[in-house]
Amino acid sequence: MPVEKVTQVSQTKPWYGALSSKYGEALLKTPEPGLYGQYTYGIAGERFFREIKDNAKITGAKCQKCNLIYVPPRIYCERCFEGLEEWCEIENKGEIHTYTIGWVDLDGSRLEEPVILALVKFDGVYGGIVHKVEEISADNVKIGMKVSAVFKEKREGSILDIKYFKPI
Amino acid sequence: MFPKVAIVGIGYTPFRPITPDVSFREMVFEAASKAYEDAGVHPQEDIDSFVTCQDDFEHGRSIWNMQTPDNLGAVLKPIHTNCGDGILGLIDAYMQIKSGLRSIVAVETHSKASNVINRNHLIAHATDPIYNKPLNINPYFIAGMEMNRYLLETGTTKEQCALVVSKNKTNALFNPLAAYGEKITPKEVLDSEEMFSPLKRLDMSPMADGGIVMVLASEEKAKALTDKPIWIRGLGWCSEAPSLETREWGEAIYAKLAGEMAYRIAGIKHPRKQIDFAEVDDTFSYKEPQHMEALKLCRRGEAGSMIEEGATQREGEFPTNVSGGSLGVGFLVEATGPQRVLEVVLQLRGEAGGRQLPDVKVGLAQSWRGIPYASGAVMILSKE
Ligand SMILES: [Zn+2]
Repeated sequence: MPVEKVTQVSQTKPWYGALSSKYGEALLKTPEPGLYGQYTYGIAGERFFREIKDNAKITGAKCQKCNLIYVPPRIYCERCFEGLEEWCEIENKGEIHTYTIGWVDLDGSRLEEPVILALVKFDGVYGGIVHKVEEISADNVKIGMKVSAVFKEKREGSILDIKYFKPI
Repeated sequence: MFPKVAIVGIGYTPFRPITPDVSFREMVFEAASKAYEDAGVHPQEDIDSFVTCQDDFEHGRSIWNMQTPDNLGAVLKPIHTNCGDGILGLIDAYMQIKSGLRSIVAVETHSKASNVINRNHLIAHATDPIYNKPLNINPYFIAGMEMNRYLLETGTTKEQCALVVSKNKTNALFNPLAAYGEKITPKEVLDSEEMFSPLKRLDMSPMADGGIVMVLASEEKAKALTDKPIWIRGLGWCSEAPSLETREWGEAIYAKLAGEMAYRIAGIKHPRKQIDFAEVDDTFSYKEPQHMEALKLCRRGEAGSMIEEGATQREGEFPTNVSGGSLGVGFLVEATGPQRVLEVVLQLRGEAGGRQLPDVKVGLAQSWRGIPYASGAVMILSKE
């Protein structure tokens, strides 16, 4: 049987009566709400999420020089560093580039039902979308499988406006 | 003429799952004192400059890299703070000496990972706040996705990855510094809980605490200080795009390019022939074969069979992760890269005790920044 070891001080009994900092413990458990600010979407993010919100469509940005279409879109090319100005609509028909079956949640607890997570790439596109895959069992999912995004009815401009990807 | 650069002093604390007996400052003080003793230098009198490498929050506090001057003996002295892997700190020190700006530089890294209660949240916080993080998923899914693509592209198997775990944990039994040495069978690895399939729980390296300090010196100073300098012959570093969407998933391009740079500087044309052993990143089991291939220690898709045939065993033709790697030693956050350099130095000095490799002259150490990034560094060291 593999040996299990304690890896966090918080899991131990007090160390021979050593003092423990309750304040430090709390801080590490939940960063104080005041720690957070608001992350700006930026020009390309605004474009991407507004198109999702208003029209349930995926937007890319094209680099003419490299002949690459970026999803998510950007205002610069990460290869040649040219500025990008050409937006294009991406057909909602992708392919699973790679996936995993997740059995634990963010807190490390085991999930009752595993979740399928994938990087979905689109034809002729550089990049893709990382999201959940549903309407298929974990046993049947495959790399190379064709999938499409299922959008929510009521959208607010978030990656969660895509409910999940499903096989087509 | 640019001077040659050597590692002339090493100091470290044993790597442990938890270290509730000491604060991180006391841990670094111990590692630093041993390194200065080993090099025969005094931090205030002899060391020209210091480098410290820590990331934010990894040890339970922000702007952590500003916390080391006192416990390193570096108060009122020049210090570079580097928010990244420790091999980058060693590279920084190398450049300061190579350029002639400094003669003796000390580099510090440590892990106090046991301070952190839920590291998942910390890593999740490093994923993209608008494209990835809202999915509210455990960020280790990234390793599962990478493993899946790597296995598909190369034909490497889960069984071969399990052999890596078994080998490295067994190697760690011979390393008194390692926290997770144990006799474990590949079957036990394959039978461990599914985490991010195909990644199982025992495919993932557990966290450990520890401090490492190294003293680097110019050729002139090195020869005056020690009769066993270990020379830095090659070094390289590289980062892919940080976005999950555009980075490579099946191949470790960052390691390939960092390796090519290091080989060019060291004048190495045939890595497998000209290097005697390697310590490569094995944060997850599949990373060892993936990195070996990226570093051209074998052809792509051949690392799995190389492991199966026993070539990477301690007694094998190309010993890999004799120290136990991260799977056997424990994942040391930014000190993970330096732990690999430390092993290479100990082996080349002939001070590796029960795991000493016979007649080794040139060794390679490689680091990966860990999820969610595709970034890493390589260092080649030699006895002569
Ligand atoms: Zn371009």
